[in-house]
Amino acid sequence: MKILIAEDETALQQSIVTYLEGDGNICEVASNFSDAVYKVDLYEYDIVILDVNLVTGSGLEILKMLKETRKSTGVLIISANNSLQDKLEGLDLGADDYLTKPFHLAELNSRIKAVLRRGVFGGNETIKFNEIAIDTKSKTAYINDMYMPLTRKEYDLLLFFITNQGRVLSKEIIAEHLWGDHSDLIDNYDFIYVHINNLRKKLTEDGSKYIKTAYGSGYKFMEE
Amino acid sequence: MAISKKKIKLIQKTSSTFLWISVALMILSTIALYFYVRNLLKSEIEEELYSTKARIENSLMKNDAVYALPPVIEIKKTSKIGIEKLKDTIIYDPSQNEMEEFRELASYSEINGNYYKITVRSLVVETRNILMAIIISYFIIIIFVFVFLFYFNKAGNQKLWLPFFTNLGQMKRFSLGSEKPIHLVESSILEFSELNTVILTLTNKVNADYRNLKQYTEDVSHELQTPLAIIQAKIENIINSDNLNAKQYEHLTSIQKDIQRLTQLNKRLSLLTKLENRQFTNPEELFLNSIIRARIDNFKELFPTKIELLEQGQVRLKMDPYLLDILCDNLISNALRHTIANGLIKVIIDPQNLTVTNPGNAALQHPEKLFTRFYGEAKAKKSMGLGLAIVQKICNLYDFAPSYSFEEKQHIFKIRFYIDKSGTPI
Repeated sequence: MKILIAEDETALQQSIVTYLEGDGNICEVASNFSDAVYKVDLYEYDIVILDVNLVTGSGLEILKMLKETRKSTGVLIISANNSLQDKLEGLDLGADDYLTKPFHLAELNSRIKAVLRRGVFGGNETIKFNEIAIDTKSKTAYINDMYMPLTRKEYDLLLFFITNQGRVLSKEIIAEHLWGDHSDLIDNYDFIYVHINNLRKKLTEDGSKYIKTAYGSGYKFMEE
Repeated sequence: MAISKKKIKLIQKTSSTFLWISVALMILSTIALYFYVRNLLKSEIEEELYSTKARIENSLMKNDAVYALPPVIEIKKTSKIGIEKLKDTIIYDPSQNEMEEFRELASYSEINGNYYKITVRSLVVETRNILMAIIISYFIIIIFVFVFLFYFNKAGNQKLWLPFFTNLGQMKRFSLGSEKPIHLVESSILEFSELNTVILTLTNKVNADYRNLKQYTEDVSHELQTPLAIIQAKIENIINSDNLNAKQYEHLTSIQKDIQRLTQLNKRLSLLTKLENRQFTNPEELFLNSIIRARIDNFKELFPTKIELLEQGQVRLKMDPYLLDILCDNLISNALRHTIANGLIKVIIDPQNLTVTNPGNAALQHPEKLFTRFYGEAKAKKSMGLGLAIVQKICNLYDFAPSYSFEEKQHIFKIRFYIDKSGTPI
């Protein structure tokens, strides 16, 4: 995938690049408004990660340009402003998703993949990982073509694992992905363990081997 | 707690001072007048008695005829001279046919070689009547004067203080955060005019400070987000680089947890600011029951604690849906956070109230601080101390009344909606 990261904070920009390149994506960066306008105008990207507040201009202007000229490009807005108004404005202008800073890179990655699925495959994509298949439209999962009766959270968890395969996912990241704002209510992340255990059981022996423990308390979804 | 003194109105205070002073003066002057007039009348009577006596002596000197006019004049021949006596006495008055009080002068004189006892008397009743007449008419006059002065004084005071009370009303309506400036009535009285200047200076200062503070909160929470995003992204990349040991990973995830706390704190502070700025203006007709059900389901996925929903009525609300979610979430998560182990949380909807209860060991020590920012009685729990402050602010926005009580080992949080019979908020 070819991704443009229009973000004027170089440290954040580079961290995003490092993470996304790990998945074999090709990343280009734009550190200011004119740079971003220039690149968006000249090249075609699968997805543009757009900071709303670029020092020299508004990311929303670039969003408008993109939606006029390159309709197939997915746009994901990242913003330091968490007001609902801004979010709605961005989505109204045609952004595919909106993420408020600070965010987890794993979360960004799973959002990017969701945008791509909706954009490129019209939301019909079936994600395959060896014996596991996920139908993202009907939100169902199969193992060895057998239907798995997953709860909503288990389904989200499995999808999150597969979209971030090979990455270490701490319990904090998983909690925040699954429960958003409420995850800070959890004093004790053992509860995540219960959910992962349930998922493992439903994945049967064939699927559960992919969920590995990392550093004692984190998780990693990967091939053996 | 400080004992607050009972407050009375200024007009009432000045009037009552006037009233008491007047009553005291009236009583004192009446008493003084009574004694003065009484003494005057008494000395008048005595003078009359002495002059009558002198006239009798004169007439006795001219001719010896001893005559009497009882009970007013009595003359007796005696053998010796006694002491002159002035006294009050009660004797029978045949002309009135009753016992009457008299002032009596009994004196002894030697006239032409004879000794006489001359007794002259005068009726006291008449002087008493005169005394009473004077006192009563004085009293009536002074009461008229007093009533007139009282109302005149009151009306004058009211007029005098009018600018003060108008401005006081203005100040009462003054609210921080509303952009409406305060309009004060000009007054020709120097003190009031000075007061106005001070009020204007103060309110302008308070408003400016408040705006600055709000701007500061907004700026800080906004500016914090980018550095937090950088720290978070870098930590994630470090975790995903290969050469880590378990100890380092522990530290990094613990930093992640703290970043998350900061992020939440930030979000809540900026939500509070937005609530104060009244930036939520998308009211929708909402059905509290179904929203509560959805929120509870959400919590059930996350927590093993039991949450029981009792729907004793239906509540429709017209408010911002985002804020209603937050209101419900904050009440439930507050209960979850502070419940004792295995305690059952109850959420009750009746036609007027939303009540959330959780079992606890003892009532809070300072329930009045409960809805303020960063107040927490159990510091051990990782609470931000903003949840209930947000509940309070949302309630303020829609005129709901939040309250807390502790009954039968239950912490009870209640939101009263003031809903009419048809189920819509008033």
